[in-house]
Amino acid sequence: MAEFETATQLVAAATKTREAGYVDVDAYSPIPIEELHHAIGFPHTKLPLMVLIGGLLGGMGGFSLEYWVSAVAYPLNIGGKPLVSWPMFIPVTFECTILAASLTAVFGMLMLNKLPMPYHPVFNVPRFAMASRNRFFLCIEATDRQFDLDRTREFLTSLDGAHEVTAVAN
Amino acid sequence: MAQSNQPLADRMEPVAGSGTPIVIAPGHTFASVTDKISSIVLTQRTPVGYYIALLTAAGLAGLLLMSLSYLVVKGIGIWGNNIPVGWAFDITNFVWWIGIGHAGTLISAILLLLKQTWRTSINRFAEAMTLFAVACAGIFPLFHTGRPWLAYWLFPIPNTMSVWPQFRSPLIWDVFAVSTYATVSALFWYVGLVPDVATLRDRAQGKVAQRIYGMMSLGWRGSARHWHRYETAYLLLAGLSTPLVVSVHSVVSFDFSVSILPGWHTTIFPPYFVAGAIYSGFAMVLTLAIPMRVVYGLEDFITMRHLQNMAKVMLLTGLIVAYGYGVEAFMAWYGGNYYEGFMMLNRINGPYWPQYWALIFCNVIFPQLLWFKKIRMNVPMLFVISIVVNVGMWLERFVIIVLSLHRDFLPSSWGMFRPTFWDWSTYVGTIGLFLTLFFLFVRLLPAISIFEMRTIVPEAKVQEGHGH
Amino acid sequence: MALRETAEQIFPELAQKQRTFLLAGAAGLVLSAVGYTMNPEQFFSSYLLAYMLVLGLTLGALGFVMIHQLSGGAWGVVARQSLGAASRVMPVVTLLFIPIAIGMPHLYEWTHADVVNADPILRGKAAYLNTSFFLVRAAIYFIVWNGLVFLLNKWSKEQDETGNLELPLRMQRVSAGGLLLHVLCVSFAAFDWVMSRDPHWFSTIYGALVLVGQGLVAMAFQIIVLAWLARRKPMSEALTPVYLGDLAGLMFAMVVLWAYMSFSQYLIIWSGNLPEEIMWYLHREQPGWIPLAIVLVVFHFAAPFFLLLMRGIKRNPSLVTKVAMLVIVARVIDLFWLIAPETHHEGFVLSWMDLVLPAAMFALWVGLYFQQLRQRPLLPLNDPQFEEALGPAFAHADHGTAH
Repeated sequence: MAEFETATQLVAAATKTREAGYVDVDAYSPIPIEELHHAIGFPHTKLPLMVLIGGLLGGMGGFSLEYWVSAVAYPLNIGGKPLVSWPMFIPVTFECTILAASLTAVFGMLMLNKLPMPYHPVFNVPRFAMASRNRFFLCIEATDRQFDLDRTREFLTSLDGAHEVTAVAN
Repeated sequence: MAQSNQPLADRMEPVAGSGTPIVIAPGHTFASVTDKISSIVLTQRTPVGYYIALLTAAGLAGLLLMSLSYLVVKGIGIWGNNIPVGWAFDITNFVWWIGIGHAGTLISAILLLLKQTWRTSINRFAEAMTLFAVACAGIFPLFHTGRPWLAYWLFPIPNTMSVWPQFRSPLIWDVFAVSTYATVSALFWYVGLVPDVATLRDRAQGKVAQRIYGMMSLGWRGSARHWHRYETAYLLLAGLSTPLVVSVHSVVSFDFSVSILPGWHTTIFPPYFVAGAIYSGFAMVLTLAIPMRVVYGLEDFITMRHLQNMAKVMLLTGLIVAYGYGVEAFMAWYGGNYYEGFMMLNRINGPYWPQYWALIFCNVIFPQLLWFKKIRMNVPMLFVISIVVNVGMWLERFVIIVLSLHRDFLPSSWGMFRPTFWDWSTYVGTIGLFLTLFFLFVRLLPAISIFEMRTIVPEAKVQEGHGH
Repeated sequence: MALRETAEQIFPELAQKQRTFLLAGAAGLVLSAVGYTMNPEQFFSSYLLAYMLVLGLTLGALGFVMIHQLSGGAWGVVARQSLGAASRVMPVVTLLFIPIAIGMPHLYEWTHADVVNADPILRGKAAYLNTSFFLVRAAIYFIVWNGLVFLLNKWSKEQDETGNLELPLRMQRVSAGGLLLHVLCVSFAAFDWVMSRDPHWFSTIYGALVLVGQGLVAMAFQIIVLAWLARRKPMSEALTPVYLGDLAGLMFAMVVLWAYMSFSQYLIIWSGNLPEEIMWYLHREQPGWIPLAIVLVVFHFAAPFFLLLMRGIKRNPSLVTKVAMLVIVARVIDLFWLIAPETHHEGFVLSWMDLVLPAAMFALWVGLYFQQLRQRPLLPLNDPQFEEALGPAFAHADHGTAH
């Protein structure tokens, strides 16, 4: 794992790493960097699609519930209004859509990110605490096919702006 | 340098070269932003004044606890509500609090979608404000039922009585809207907090603090993959919260407008309630932000630019609200409905005329001062206006609710509402609860989003080859 | 460089197009004049529909010019000159109001003394709904609109030429007050010209609905034109996918706002079910009108909503143009739904004039718009935000100010 001082250096380093053929790479930064996930070769997430599906299911669920309650389970005459007063079902349908979609967004994000994960090897590097302040890190994982402790260390050291290259114990 | 890094949409004042106030004072870096904000929570000594303020607020919250306990024992007869005025302080306060909550979501979601980076330093505490305001709001309808322990009847839960909620009633829509709103705001707030709590975890000295922040941060480590999904989720939440926030106050307005009561039944209600909610919400953000930036020395982060922009939003939404009043009054005459006309005259000249005219003064006349730049740049004046608007928006709900109810269609069912001690104590008590929660929040969690503040520091820009 | 050239120089074919559109418009108007002799009632109903369409294209643009002056934003820098050109059609739009003034007895029930005298409600409204006050109000609206168009465009031209730094401030001030007046004028114009077609009916949200409709149709039109202008420099550089997406986002916002307000109005009136209000919807429940309402739900809301949710569509010039065209057609259908059922209480009737008149008036308006567009450069050279919005795109261009 190598440490960098600026976002620019990290993005450049990540791009070089990918060009050098490393695949199991991760980068750590105190801010979201738009360019970075391209640099480490990470495709677009499928989260939006999940949210859309969640929202649609929520909306349909909400409307079906209202229909079933008002017309089937508990039909009541309220002010002479039809049992299925669809205009009056829209607000709850809408709220259910939003609720389901939001829950999908948050828990979907956590699930895809495999969070919560209280322990991760990178936390063993003392200086990694700075990743949440003002330092940037690039990590080539041992599972990578090209990984070789010495050569990878050499490669990381050669990157522009890299310092404090360390091996991370598992 | 600071100028060129500001996105264009961010400049509300397109006056060339006249020293546009900026969103963050120059010279800040990742490290300084991180240290400054997290130090409020982690290292700074708590001033004595803080404890005094917290204790006062907690005392008022105690008053709330007492009032509610007495209410549970005696029933809602301790309030001044009667027939015909079945809704009074309780629903007024409910709508007022819900409205205040709206600014938080507006700032965090809508301004995010509009790429207004000036939101960054105020969104966190505005979101917290939303949560606390919604909590205060929820108390009122809950206890207005008189039997709060049966509140679960409001939800569609299968039960042995085979009784189901009545989906043709706007009050049930309210249950869904407010509980969805509370859930989504809490999620939005928490998701925003995660990277910052990770910062606190990494910087906290004490073992206990490290453990607690460690658990709350869910093991966040700032991985690029995580950031990417995180940003996507955050934007999606913003996109979902925007229609949600509009829907919540629209549903609140439906509580009134789908009835046929004069003064309640009018089609402009949904957008005009939403504008009013944003109006009062921004007023409350100013009321809280102005003292906070002074006490904690946050003038670098909550700059004049923020106060000015919030003042402008208030001016705009205040004008929309005034438009609503105007159109409503015009249609009351134009519509040719006798009762509508009477309702309007009763507001202007009836037994509650002082409240009505105070409302017009607070919401329509006084805030017009905001047209002047001198006033917008004058912090004490802004503070005064924000409080006047808060009062005005409370009066607006009082006028809508009580004035329409106390004059029924038949003079035989006319009445008056007079608040009792317990009406006031419950109301003041929720203000105490709100402030207590707010004080605790400021002390225990970063009141300004650290990671988002980092993104507006010049350092955050990735240079393409040679710099521009 | 291309920046200082007028649209005329960059797009010489605009002159030809202008002629074609003007001729088509004139031909359509002449054709519908025949309709006037056959059925004046129908003619004026269709004319009002056509008029509200071009009024929306003009006033929506004026509204956006003022909003941009106040809020800033790159989208406005890109669209400003074209929006200005659209607003400058206002004088002709003012003249086009004359037939409505003449046709008042055909359009508005309340102009007939016998009807008013027999109806206590209408007698109560006579202080507002009477011919002379109606015309006085219309005159006020037109003075406000033309005044704003004149001032803002005059200063905008001055800014193009001199880059005087006083001007942005002045335009901002006028826009702040102007927007306020504009909103009031559009609202009351909507009450007077369209809502009072059914003099018993009223809805407090009506003015806001018409305002949003105008903004929507104007923005849709601007998107089509800007995407077309982006075939050549400088617009090809200026209208980046992001800025196009911003404009499409504004269109999306108004689609949603329209749906929100229309639904709120329906829900409130439907559930209140008061005789003086529900009649308006009952007229629109007559045979044939309900399918039209469904068409509106689908094409004025659902289709553009889902299409514009996708960033890929919002940022693609040819796709977003198609959505914008759909929106303009949906706007015409919505205006038809607002206006026509008052002429045909018994059920759905679509006259040939309902097609020819809006088409002709639209063509005429587009011709006049091209005429205005040709005269000025396509980008506001001395806009204080030009550098920030378009600086990178024109880093090497010579766009120095004149002084």
